[in-house]
Amino acid sequence: MTNNWHRKPGDRIFRPRRIKRFRLRRVLGVAAVFSAGYGNVGSSIYYALGIVAVVAIGATPIALGIAGILFIFTALTYAEGTAALPEAGGSASFARHGFNDLAGFAAGWALMLSYIVTIAISAFTIPPYLGFFWEPLKDSAIIGTIASIGIVGFLMVLNVVGIKETSVVNIGAAILDIATQVSLVVIGFILLFNPTVLWHRIIDNWPTSENLVLGIALASIAYTGIETMSQMAEETKRPEQRVPRALVLMIVTVLVIFAGISLVSLSAMSPQELASEWSRDPVAGIAFYLPMEIIRFILKPLIGILAGTILLIATNAGLIGISRLAFSLGSHQLVPPVLSRVHSRFKTPYVSIILFSLVAIIILIPGFFASDVFENMGALYTFGSLLAFMFAHASILSLRIRKPELPRPFKLGGNIRFRGRELPLSAIIGLAAISAIWIIIMITQAYSRWVGLIWMAIGLIIYYLYRRQQGMPLTHTEGREKPKSFWENNRGKRL
Amino acid sequence: MEFKKILVPVAGHVADEEAMRFACRMSKRVKGKIWSVYIITIKRSLPLDAEIESEIRKAEGILDHIESVAEEEDCEIETDVLQARDAGPAIIDEAVDKACDLITMGVNYKRRFGQFSLGNVVPYVLQNAPCPVILYHEQ
Repeated sequence: MTNNWHRKPGDRIFRPRRIKRFRLRRVLGVAAVFSAGYGNVGSSIYYALGIVAVVAIGATPIALGIAGILFIFTALTYAEGTAALPEAGGSASFARHGFNDLAGFAAGWALMLSYIVTIAISAFTIPPYLGFFWEPLKDSAIIGTIASIGIVGFLMVLNVVGIKETSVVNIGAAILDIATQVSLVVIGFILLFNPTVLWHRIIDNWPTSENLVLGIALASIAYTGIETMSQMAEETKRPEQRVPRALVLMIVTVLVIFAGISLVSLSAMSPQELASEWSRDPVAGIAFYLPMEIIRFILKPLIGILAGTILLIATNAGLIGISRLAFSLGSHQLVPPVLSRVHSRFKTPYVSIILFSLVAIIILIPGFFASDVFENMGALYTFGSLLAFMFAHASILSLRIRKPELPRPFKLGGNIRFRGRELPLSAIIGLAAISAIWIIIMITQAYSRWVGLIWMAIGLIIYYLYRRQQGMPLTHTEGREKPKSFWENNRGKRL
Repeated sequence: MEFKKILVPVAGHVADEEAMRFACRMSKRVKGKIWSVYIITIKRSLPLDAEIESEIRKAEGILDHIESVAEEEDCEIETDVLQARDAGPAIIDEAVDKACDLITMGVNYKRRFGQFSLGNVVPYVLQNAPCPVILYHEQ
């Protein structure tokens, strides 16, 4: 019989316990990993452009560009870390291996904050795009916020029940999304791009230094998705090759498209319009200003539907990501096991799904009455994500120092030698730059400072109480033999 | 036809026993090999290597029972527990990997919207199997 069967993306087989021969089959290729990552990163431009424009005004493309460079450094760090440690957990996993359990928890807890805000902010920006079909979704803060809360609630229920999500949907959405964005960039450059107008809009609306730095920090929200790809590593065929390839492909795609969209947006409208009327649906704003009626007629509803779909997928991805992360932290005894509790019937981690969905809804509530909720969410996101990225860079450096013998199928080049160890320059620069930006955010942004610090304090208290209750040290697990990960069991074997 | 490598996916149905008995009789003639697998489906909100104790215990119990059925037929089998996002592709993957000559599956009687239903897994396996598939339908 002819075998015409092709592996379905997203399926992988892992064998626990009852194993005669430990074999592992992963089926995700570069396309599926790229699509999953792009589904997250590509969706961010639908709101990141507006958030950045609120503070960076005319310097929006520059802020996105500088953040893009830092994104490259961070993506490369994740590439090395994921190839060496292809387990769910991302920077939390890197920190646990590079330092200790406390660092792993702190990184994971910070990541959780960024996931929660990603859920909230993605849901918050769906109604404005759908406002094309019913204006109150965009114009009314009350209706828009109710819709956002409803979306989070709906996805919470879906994930507790456990819907079957296929990677085919993600790949299809990513292809359609890239095609639409590329089309928008090409059409925008042909019909709207005017270097003189663009130059004046940038120069005449240059922000203060503080706002420029904040804009760069907020621009990091455009590049969410690295963690998603890192988590996909455990389901990827030959992750040491495929994940770095997918990351590099994503870097190139994202930077090209984001650069194009940001330049086209400032060609289409003034920074003030981008930062106000179109801040929550900037891509729709670009379509609105296209001069040809027929193209507007096609693109406006298409962008509304596409953005709504992509952002819904991204919101769902955030929920899935945080539940996986919570489970992963629970399985390593970094958080109380209640967060890893699985529903007896639905077989889903219902406690973490419900809990973090409710936290996301709490973050959305100010949308009823506060005009700056969008910017505050963006700033809060940067608190968590930049902290997680700092841990990632620091952990890679620590692993180079403490575990130089660790197999690194993808090893960063451009190293400097320090006390006999090779340290990647990209990680050093990334750590320094991101740390500086994070500190500036902490000093200048009261909302994200206090909410972020309270979040971390709550987490550390939970961690302290839990570990003490278990009689476990705070920094590492002693006297407990951890089961080997499937990767440790299969290191060197052909999978 | 000779079937020297037979895959018997099990799900805990009564029909699995007869499917295993049939596989044992087919393989004994040619001194073939039988693998029996139980697929634990992991929802996407969990990491793929998540260990769900209740599911693993259930899987072990089912495979223990299948082993005893094979023992009654004087047949040695290998059993495995797999975790995957979807059972259908996992079964196909296993059959491809082991270069199986035959897949035998038990199908329990289900009605969906008043119509007899094979579910999602069986049609997927029938469509994509690299080898013949024999279904045993529970009465």
